[in-house]
Amino acid sequence: MNKKIVAVAGLALALTACGKEGGTTAEPAAAPKPGEKPGVCLVMKSLANEFFQQMQKGAEEHATKRGDLTLSVVGIQNETDIDNQVAAVEKCVTQQAKAIVIAPADSRALVAPLKRAVDAGVKVVNIDVQLEEGAMKAAGIGDKVPFVGPDNREGAKQSGMELVKAVGKDAEVVILEGNPGAANAAQRKAGFEDAIKEGGLKLVDSKTAHWETNEAHTVFSNMLTAHPDIKGVLAGNDNMALGALKAIDEQGKKGQIKVASFDNIPAIAQYVKDGTVVATLDQYGAQQAANGIDYAMKMIGGENFGGWQKTEIKLITKDNLG
Amino acid sequence: MIKRLVLGEAGIGVALVVLAGFFVIAAPNFATEQNLRNIMTQITLNTVLAVGMTFVILVGGIDLSVGSAMALCAVVSGTMMAGSGSVVTLVGAILVSVLVGAVVGWINGFVSEQWRVPSFIVTLAMLNVARGAAERYTDAATIYNLPAALNDFGTITLLGVPAVFWVALLLAGIGWFVLSRTVFGRLIYATGNNEEAVRLSGHKTSRIKIAAFMIAGLTVGIAAVLYMARLNIASPILGQGYELNAIAAVVIGGASLMGGRGSMAGTFLGACLLGVLTNGLLLMGVSDFERQIITGLVILVAVVLDAYRLRLARKLAVTQPATKEPVPATVAS
Repeated sequence: MNKKIVAVAGLALALTACGKEGGTTAEPAAAPKPGEKPGVCLVMKSLANEFFQQMQKGAEEHATKRGDLTLSVVGIQNETDIDNQVAAVEKCVTQQAKAIVIAPADSRALVAPLKRAVDAGVKVVNIDVQLEEGAMKAAGIGDKVPFVGPDNREGAKQSGMELVKAVGKDAEVVILEGNPGAANAAQRKAGFEDAIKEGGLKLVDSKTAHWETNEAHTVFSNMLTAHPDIKGVLAGNDNMALGALKAIDEQGKKGQIKVASFDNIPAIAQYVKDGTVVATLDQYGAQQAANGIDYAMKMIGGENFGGWQKTEIKLITKDNLG
Repeated sequence: MIKRLVLGEAGIGVALVVLAGFFVIAAPNFATEQNLRNIMTQITLNTVLAVGMTFVILVGGIDLSVGSAMALCAVVSGTMMAGSGSVVTLVGAILVSVLVGAVVGWINGFVSEQWRVPSFIVTLAMLNVARGAAERYTDAATIYNLPAALNDFGTITLLGVPAVFWVALLLAGIGWFVLSRTVFGRLIYATGNNEEAVRLSGHKTSRIKIAAFMIAGLTVGIAAVLYMARLNIASPILGQGYELNAIAAVVIGGASLMGGRGSMAGTFLGACLLGVLTNGLLLMGVSDFERQIITGLVILVAVVLDAYRLRLARKLAVTQPATKEPVPATVAS
C-alpha cells in the first residue's frame, strides 16, 4: 500500500516537473559573444494552436532569410500558463538576449518581468495581444515597448460591414464570441458591435462558443430556435463559423442566413466562394512575429519605438479570394 | 416501493421531466420538433462517450483521456479520408478511428493494471499524450474536405430522428444489454463491488478492467467519427473537457465513483438531463457565466442526492435482515 502511494507521488512529481519544463527553450540560445549575431528571444503562447504554429514557422523562416540574428523560440503549454511565460522571459534575460519579442499570455502579469528586462538593457517588442497601457505607464516603460500587431476591432468591423451589406438594415443578427477574458475576443466583439450599430442591425443574442466548432454548433442552433428570424451571424473566428454553417445547413436555411467571420483559415474558403460567408479577415498571423523581429532589430540598431505599430489586415470576400 | 424507486433511476427520470416541463413554459420554442432534434444532435457525442465511461466507472476506474483521445482518433481518421471519394477509404478510416480509440483504451487499462497505478493518474497522463500526438500529427491544423457521404450521414434524419443519434441510442442499447444480460456485465459490477471476491472465484479481474477501458476507447473512436460526420471537420483541439461532461452524465445517472453501482439507463438519462439543461438555458438567454454556475450546481445536487440515496439503501439493508450483503444491491437496468 505504501509502495503504491510512493509510486503515485513520484508520478505526480514527474508530471509537475514536466509542466515546469514547458517553459524551456526549444533550442538553447547561445549567449552572444562580441562580434556574433545578436540573440533574439521569441516568447510565444501555446504552440498547440494553429495560429501560433504558423506564426512561429513564419518567424523562423524570416530569421533565416534575414540571417543577421540568432532566433530562439520559447513556447508554453497552454494560453493561460502565465507562470512559465514569466520564467521564460527571465531566462531570456539571463541568457543575455539582445531583444525579446513576446506574445503575452496575460496583458498585466507580464509587465513586471518585462520591465526588469528593459532595465537590464534588453529591447522588448510586444506582439499579438497588447500589454495594458496603464500598467505599462505605471512601470515607466510605456514609450519603450512598441506593440506591433493588427487592429482586431477594425478588422471585425470591416467583416461586419460586409454582413450589413448582405442582410440589410434591421435584420436580426447574433455574435459568437471567443473565450471570455481574451483580449482579441473582446476586441473582435467590439468591432462587430461597431458594425451592428453603424449598419442599424438588430443584435438579438451574443454568447461565447470558446473558439470551438462543436460548441458553436450547439450554441448557434439554440440561438436559431429561440430567434427563428436570424439573418446573420458574426463569428469571432472561422472555426466557430464552421459550426454555425453546419447548423444553418441542417435547419434548411442555407442561403437565408449569412456569416461574417475572422481569421481566413483554409477550411473556410469553400464557403466564402459559395457566398454563405460574406467575409472573413486575414490578419497575416504568420507574419506577426516576423514583423516583431524586424522592429526588434531596428531597436537593437538604436532606433526607438513606442505605442501601437499597426500591421496589415485584409478583408477577404468572394471577389478577392486567393 | 417509493424507496425502491428512489434507489433506481426514477429519481433522475423525474428530475428530467420536471426540468423539461419548466422549459416548456419558460423557454421560447423549447417544445418544437426542430428543437427536440437539436437536443438529440447536441447530446449525441456525450451520450456515446458516457456509455463507455459507465463501464470504466463501474469497475472503479476513471478515464480522463476521452476528450483528447477523441481528437487523436479524429485527426488520424480525418487525414486518411480527407479529399477521398472512395467508399473503401471511408470505411477504412472509420475502422482506423475505432482502432486508435481501442488501442488508447488498452494502454490506459494495461498500464493501470500492470503496475497498479490508479487510472486517474494514467489517464491524466494519456490526456496530455493523446492531445500532443493529435497536435503533432496535424501541426495543429484543422482538417477539412471530408467525404460528402460522411457529411450526409451527419445531416440526415430517420423517422424524424437524426441518424447520429440513432447510433448513440444503439450503443446505449448494446451497453444496457451487455451490463444487465450477460455474464461479462455481472463481472463488471462484481469487480467494482468486490474485486478480491471475483479474483478468488477464479476470474482474472485485470482482464475485466482492461476490457472496460477498451470499451471506453471504442466509444471514443465512434464519437470521433460522429463528430466528423456532424461538423465536417477534424481538429486537434476538439473534445476539450468532454471527459468531464461524460463523467458528469454517468454520475448524475446515479453511478458511484467507487465502482460497482450505476446503470446504462441512468447514464442515458444523465446525458439527456445535461443536454436539456444546456439547451433550455441557452433558449432562455441565460448568460454564459450563469449557465456554467447552474450546470455545476446541478452536478452537485446530483451527487448529494446520491449520497443520501446510498444512506437510505444502507438503512433498508439493515432493517431488512433478509438482505445478506451490507452493500446495496447493484441496480442493473
